[in-house]
Amino acid sequence: MDGKELLQDDHEPVGFDWSKLSKAKPGEIAIRFVFGASIALIAATVGHFFGAKAGGLFLAFPAVLPATLTLIERKEGTTKAWADASGGALGAVGLAAFALTAALLLRWNPGAALLFALLAWALVSIGLYYIFRISGLFLKQDQLLAKRG
Amino acid sequence: MSILIVLAKSLLGGLAVVGFSLLGHAGHPKRFAGLFAAAPSVAVASLALTVALKGPAATVPYAQGMLIGSAGMVAYCLVSLYLIERLHALLGSILAWLAWLAVAGGLYLVVGR
Repeated sequence: MDGKELLQDDHEPVGFDWSKLSKAKPGEIAIRFVFGASIALIAATVGHFFGAKAGGLFLAFPAVLPATLTLIERKEGTTKAWADASGGALGAVGLAAFALTAALLLRWNPGAALLFALLAWALVSIGLYYIFRISGLFLKQDQLLAKRG
Repeated sequence: MSILIVLAKSLLGGLAVVGFSLLGHAGHPKRFAGLFAAAPSVAVASLALTVALKGPAATVPYAQGMLIGSAGMVAYCLVSLYLIERLHALLGSILAWLAWLAVAGGLYLVVGR
């Protein structure tokens, strides 16, 4: 991993470059669709045969990440794949906030529960991202997990 | 369980994954884009369809299971961070599935059933 490249990337302003979407290859989109559809299928099947709670486990299975990280590494290098996984860890905490909110609110109002759950995911994951970015916690995480030397 | 329902869940799940991954594709910097790699894409589609077809009471256990799975997802991302650099992305991120299995499966056996 290249620390300088990572630092340079970290200093980029947060946002979306929509022009990048036109460069997304149909094959890469298809791979993600297949992995996403497969894990939804597995969750439904496990839920049917082993109970809903067991099926629910697979709603938080990282099915698409290996494909995503491999594509990023191939096109942009290991440092960018590392950075993507690093953000994924924070998104995963947001995923828990999504599940908790949904579990607590679904009986009250299912539609609102899913909207609030999505909001909880966004608030927690984006909030954590800014906390890590501003406080320098990303650097500490890198020092802890990166290969030395 | 009707085959049609399973296929609908599968189709919607796949489309939701594509939607969130395109957001990640356009996002910058890369750590920010990475947030969308762990977005609840399959979950939104699957829970919405389950609640519409079976009602909220039948959907809550799916969300509870997902909460347990989320702990596995955090473990997965941290272990994949450790392995990506040492084994490359493909092998590292596939081996990290074991971390998901250990944490999500272990928690399910202890508190989930």
